[in-house]
Amino acid sequence: MNYQDYIRNFSIIAHIDHGKSTLADRIIENTGLVAHRDMKEQFLDNMDLERERGITIKLQTTRLVYKAKDGNEYIFNLIDTPGHVDFNYEVSRSLAACEGAVLVVDSTQGVEAQTMANVYLALEEDLEILPCLNKIDLASSRPQETKDEIEEMIGIDASDAPMVSAKEGIGIEDLLEAIVEKIPAPKGDVSGKLKALIFDSVYDNYKGVVIYARIFDGQVKVGDTIRLMNTKKKYEVTEVGVMAPGHVPTRFLRAGEVGYICASIKQVKDARVGDTITLDNDPAEESLPGYKKVQSMVYCGIYPAEGEKYESVKDALEKLQVNDAAFIFEPETSTALGFGFRCGFLGLLHMEIIVERLEREFDLAVVTTSPSVVYRVVKTDGTVEMIQNPTNLPPAAEISRIEEPMVKADIMIPKEYVGSVMELCQERRGRMLHMEYITENRVQLHYDMPLNEVIYDFFDALKSKTRGYGSLDYEFDRYEKSNLVKLDVLLNKELIDAFSMIVHESKAYARGRFVCEKLKEIIPMHQFEVPIQAAIGQKVIARETVRAYRKDVIAKCYGGDISRKKKLLEKQKEGKKRMRQFGKVEVPQEAFTAVLRYDDNK
Amino acid sequence: MKKPLGLYIHIPFCAAKCPYCGFYSKPPAAGESPEETAGKRREYVKRVIEDTKELGAKYGPGRVVDTVYIGGGTPSILAPELIEDILGAAQESFEVCPDAEISIEVNPGTVTGEKLKAYRKAGINRLSIGCQSLDDKVLKDLGRIHMAAQFKETFRLAREAGFENISCDLMFSVPGCTGEIWRETVREIVKTAPEHISFYSLQIEEGTVFYDRYRRGEFDEASDEADRKMYHEALSVLRDAGYVQYEISSAAKPGFRCRHNIKYWTLAEYIGIGDSASSYIDGKRITNPPFYEYHENTAADDMSEYVFTGLRMNDGIGLEDFEKRFGRGLFEAFPEGERELAPFVREGDVSMEGGRLKITEKGFDISNKIMAIFV
Repeated sequence: MNYQDYIRNFSIIAHIDHGKSTLADRIIENTGLVAHRDMKEQFLDNMDLERERGITIKLQTTRLVYKAKDGNEYIFNLIDTPGHVDFNYEVSRSLAACEGAVLVVDSTQGVEAQTMANVYLALEEDLEILPCLNKIDLASSRPQETKDEIEEMIGIDASDAPMVSAKEGIGIEDLLEAIVEKIPAPKGDVSGKLKALIFDSVYDNYKGVVIYARIFDGQVKVGDTIRLMNTKKKYEVTEVGVMAPGHVPTRFLRAGEVGYICASIKQVKDARVGDTITLDNDPAEESLPGYKKVQSMVYCGIYPAEGEKYESVKDALEKLQVNDAAFIFEPETSTALGFGFRCGFLGLLHMEIIVERLEREFDLAVVTTSPSVVYRVVKTDGTVEMIQNPTNLPPAAEISRIEEPMVKADIMIPKEYVGSVMELCQERRGRMLHMEYITENRVQLHYDMPLNEVIYDFFDALKSKTRGYGSLDYEFDRYEKSNLVKLDVLLNKELIDAFSMIVHESKAYARGRFVCEKLKEIIPMHQFEVPIQAAIGQKVIARETVRAYRKDVIAKCYGGDISRKKKLLEKQKEGKKRMRQFGKVEVPQEAFTAVLRYDDNK
Repeated sequence: MKKPLGLYIHIPFCAAKCPYCGFYSKPPAAGESPEETAGKRREYVKRVIEDTKELGAKYGPGRVVDTVYIGGGTPSILAPELIEDILGAAQESFEVCPDAEISIEVNPGTVTGEKLKAYRKAGINRLSIGCQSLDDKVLKDLGRIHMAAQFKETFRLAREAGFENISCDLMFSVPGCTGEIWRETVREIVKTAPEHISFYSLQIEEGTVFYDRYRRGEFDEASDEADRKMYHEALSVLRDAGYVQYEISSAAKPGFRCRHNIKYWTLAEYIGIGDSASSYIDGKRITNPPFYEYHENTAADDMSEYVFTGLRMNDGIGLEDFEKRFGRGLFEAFPEGERELAPFVREGDVSMEGGRLKITEKGFDISNKIMAIFV
């Protein structure tokens, strides 16, 4: 028998809270890889942030050995996937590295939206889907109904789906057996030319970039010169191995296997997810399908907060970048905020994650400015400028036209939400291309939409309009001429460039009003009145006033209890520290992010 | 030379709890017989006396008590013998100087001429009367047990008993107290002519009936503008009547400032005796149970407290006094201070003339912001 018959490459897909990470923990525990006492809750979710938000951001891959009932030992390569539209491309590449996927469905909840989004991604990669019912120990578990739902909604047989309780460790053995039985073994050509798919890469201080790859054909060993077929770069392999977990070096990696490759690569962006590795002296003719160069879709300014050092922020951004090919940054200056950085992200979640990591892992206080997409500005003299920062928009007189990026958005929803989702898309300036029924109950809507309407909070709005069932995928399509204006914000008559944003003319008034109202809520009272204005050019379109405070005094004497008063003053002082000074006006740092969430109260 | 010391003695008993009061005090328990109530009070006083003796042994040597303040609650609810016992214990345990300021808080409706004479005999030379308002409707809304007429009667009796140093507490920005009612109250009180007047803007404290109402959105709070108007109007009436404001909420006829309270604002030593009372002694801040706290002040704590409490007083703090006391200049200790004060100086909220840092009458309105610079 071929060694590949004893390999199973799979990932686990599930809705948030359906127990994916707990199940992964249980599988790892049951295959004896990690002793129970060494287990941290949810082994695969490495970052604190991931554990907290209950989402996987960075891929994790683990090689497990399972002794099956047939007496043979099987190698399981469990490839975890991120779970947000911002990272759809990474998900699709890691799924492409597998033959099958375990679909975890919470038997108390049934099939849910995100489950579907990932199932479709898996089906696109032709994966075998192995359904598995979780939380069967709970009284509210409805296994039969859940099975029916799976069959109806996904169209796969769920009659023998293993029934497990990841929390209680019930049925894990059945699941492991089903993985052996149902998920196909890889069928690579070990004597063929090397073709390996990069599905992730991380930066290691000692080894440089560590590529995580699935070998489809051929083999790779230390000393080989590899070529990355899309970036066309060449490197000499310094180490190969498997994740068991941690890096365990092996002599070679061959067809069907999943492992890591080190080749003294300096930056993760040189080993892009989706690229194909081949041998330089005996290259494959064609690369594996599906490679895309990931493009930053959203830009914002990141500035050191009051009292924070520019250099510390720069160091931290550099550290984050070596590990994240989709994140880019360059220095920029703002009149209001001083020296900082223009940063590019996949989407708003990606942006939030980077900012949170700066704050938590690097303990930095930063101010982020309004996110923006990249506009294409054609000037009257015929030259073209790509504008990521609204402040850099040339004067109106020099602009012939502004073009904005358009995306093709695919939205999948249960049919009962079609009406409300169409309304949402229309409100976001979307144009429906067509609509199709995927099953009797599920509909896919295809929209042509401006990216700047998608990036803010479209995904959140979609989730809330569809009670979480809606899924979204989008792809850049083209630039299109649009009626865009620059909306400025003035505090106490002074323009604060960090608040400037480019918006569609039809939305400018509503947006201006919203921003003014929001800032009025957030900016504390001063000794003087603070006018807040939103303006297009010289024209003020919205105005609010923060009135001057009249009173901030504790007159009462609490006997000799000074500490009560002191605590109050300390709290006040603490609040002041989080302020950013613009001229005479103090603005809390959170103002910059608060003005983005402009659908909060709708 | 012996160090001066203040004594604060807390009496946590009331006839009924006022709905705005955040101090530690209790009305008699429901269904309690008057004998039981009296028994509890005796027990408490016994404990206070024991504590006084213990504290006297510990902190008395090397110190001389120059102020005693019996506060509450409603200390005047106690039988006068108990007050005598407490003061007697203080005299035994500490060296109390002959001209010490000895105050007691009294509430109209809880004292008689006899009681007041007994206080006088026990050595009390200053009364602080919880008048609050001279409008019966406002008094009722405040949950007070007395009416305006009773206050006037109490005041008369106090004079009769020989008290020549009387303070009255007033509250504004309370429910139902319009600008007109407040003006009338202040005018009336000035006619009564106590030596000292305290005037507090209502503070909504957690754990009070007012707070619950406020949380439910049922509290009719005075606007900031109305509140400040009442404050400044009162000051103007008091000034015209010969009172001099010396602290954010206090004004007195010349020579009648409250020496005990001034200790709080000048980082002077005082010992709190009884439940919830606070002390500042030997560089430690202690609050007695049930709100127990113990903190050993650092030099930085001392400097900060000296400034932000000192700024409550119209005289503010002397830059030389600061340097003498702490061995460094104010703006060496608070290097950002001068820059942060600048906008307030510009707006006329702070004055830095004559070697003193002071908050102006206008600046008192926003004094927290100024004080927060020094924490």
